Amino acid sequence: MLLNIFKKEMKDSFRDRRTLLLTVILPIVMMTGLVLFYENLVSDGSDETYTLAVDQSIPTEVTSGLEQMGNIELITSDSPEEMVREGEALAALSFDETFTTRVENGEPAEAVLTGDSFSQNASILMNMVTTVLTQYEQVIVAERLEAAGTDLSMIEPFVINQQELSQENTNVNLIAMLIPLILSIAIGVGASPSAADLFAGEKERKTMEALLMTPVNRMNLLTAKWLTIASIGTITGIITLAVVILEIFLLTENLKGALSLSDNAVPVIAAALLTTVMFAMFTATLLMIASIAGKTVKEAQSYATPVTMISIFPLMIITGIGVNELTNTHFMIPVLNIFTILKELSFGIVDVQHILLMAGSNLLCVVIAFVVGRVMFLKDKWVMS
Amino acid sequence: MIEIKEVTKKFQDKKTSVTALKHISFSVKKGQTIGLLGENGAGKTTLLRSIATLISPTEGTITVAGFDTEKQPSEIKRKIGVLFGGETGLYDRLTARENLVYFASLYGLSKHETKVRIDDLSKMFGMRDYLDRKVGGFSKGMRQKVAIARTLIHNPDIILFDEPTTGLDITSSNVFRQLVHQLKREGKTIIFSSHIMEEVSLLCDSVAMIHKGELVHYGTLEDLYRSEGTKDLNYIFMSKLVRGDRHYAS
Repeated sequence: MLLNIFKKEMKDSFRDRRTLLLTVILPIVMMTGLVLFYENLVSDGSDETYTLAVDQSIPTEVTSGLEQMGNIELITSDSPEEMVREGEALAALSFDETFTTRVENGEPAEAVLTGDSFSQNASILMNMVTTVLTQYEQVIVAERLEAAGTDLSMIEPFVINQQELSQENTNVNLIAMLIPLILSIAIGVGASPSAADLFAGEKERKTMEALLMTPVNRMNLLTAKWLTIASIGTITGIITLAVVILEIFLLTENLKGALSLSDNAVPVIAAALLTTVMFAMFTATLLMIASIAGKTVKEAQSYATPVTMISIFPLMIITGIGVNELTNTHFMIPVLNIFTILKELSFGIVDVQHILLMAGSNLLCVVIAFVVGRVMFLKDKWVMS
Repeated sequence: MIEIKEVTKKFQDKKTSVTALKHISFSVKKGQTIGLLGENGAGKTTLLRSIATLISPTEGTITVAGFDTEKQPSEIKRKIGVLFGGETGLYDRLTARENLVYFASLYGLSKHETKVRIDDLSKMFGMRDYLDRKVGGFSKGMRQKVAIARTLIHNPDIILFDEPTTGLDITSSNVFRQLVHQLKREGKTIIFSSHIMEEVSLLCDSVAMIHKGELVHYGTLEDLYRSEGTKDLNYIFMSKLVRGDRHYAS
């Protein structure tokens, strides 16, 4: 009986264009957009060419330093700032006419770098120009110290060598945020229309009364409907994961470099699938309660909106926590543990204890929420229109 | 067949309490067709829902075919068919056949039984041409036929109709009336609520009139006509309501 209801609900749901749109098409579009956005975010700009407007007074050392960068195009102009304002250059570098003489004489001199630091490309260019100017500055300082008979090591007593704890590509941190964020939103958004339709929709169309008039007990109805929502959530989650991974490998360079599945691909994929199923079950239970509480589809969707946006909070919490700082508590809090487990998996860590904690805590919450849903579904006021 | 004893139904929440039914008692014999009359909000749908085991009476008992609605709802559900409103209770994205097959499976019919039953019903209602089309594109009349077929898919002995012809055109209403005649010939027990007096006088053996949750009259149409001295059911209904209101006022 349960299987009959489940099969009918799945057929009915997938004949709904909204389900198809939100389960398959939306994840692909959303994932593509986010993957490309993140790829752009982590890009070092080495493939781009940036236009820099300079005046005639630019020192030859600075010119050669900028040319050595390889992706800076220099445009000489009497008014470099004007070129930036007209959009013909991303940044402008101007020097005092007496700049070289003043530097040679050891007098104070000034270089002016103009650009819009809110523009990502202008910001990258300004950083590169600052690097070249700093190098030029260091050369001048070294020459002056040498002329004064002072060793350079006097002002540079030691070198700071900063190392990353993990040997992984640092972009993996972005992937560790990107994948669970996309996954959790996609599961919520994908399962939401079916959830609203399966309870509130049935009440609105009065099919619920016809269903309740059959000898099928309410627990079977509830379970089959919950299973449908959880299955649609899982399908959305799996499609999302597959699309994200495929797009990272096919459309990106930097993110692809960060995502390495070669060492323990099978356990990482298995754990990611388990996490997807767990989160889909958890979300399905909350969406089910929202739908039982709603008298109409519209009302149920209003109640469900916070459920679909629930992943924003763990994202804010987890962003500043390193993978080595994660404790058992982080794996016991539903929704947050989707982020923590996927963060570990992104770093190639498969910790069975953490996975069990995540699965156990989610299952416990699913059972508690399901009992709440069952109590509601057995009461006439929640099921009758 | 149906015994209703001292049934009271209260709907309560934290702030308000509404008594929808007040000490209703009457019985319906096998093969009878009962018309349930009353204004909007009189308690007709609440009474039908209580008989159908969809809601529980606050006080009193209802037995259907010897089964108590509170203790044996599953047994009652197998013997009863309910249609609330003329065209409701269908899945628009499924075909008419898929709707019928689904409900047949919920009533535990085998594949063979389902096929035979769908063949019979589609022949009875002339639905063969659109049996494999999605219900979403159907006219009101077509939907009503499918909804009635769904109600009858498990061949129930007792059938409850809640305002089945409301919003339907004359042709669709006539289809319903012909169906009731046929079900009567088959010996089914039928209760239906209606606002249309002509329909009730045409189809029913007895009437139950409910006013503000109370049963103001129950008996055969013949007895009613004789006692009131007229066959104008509309007039009788209105005068009963007026008398009921005077009774409340006093």
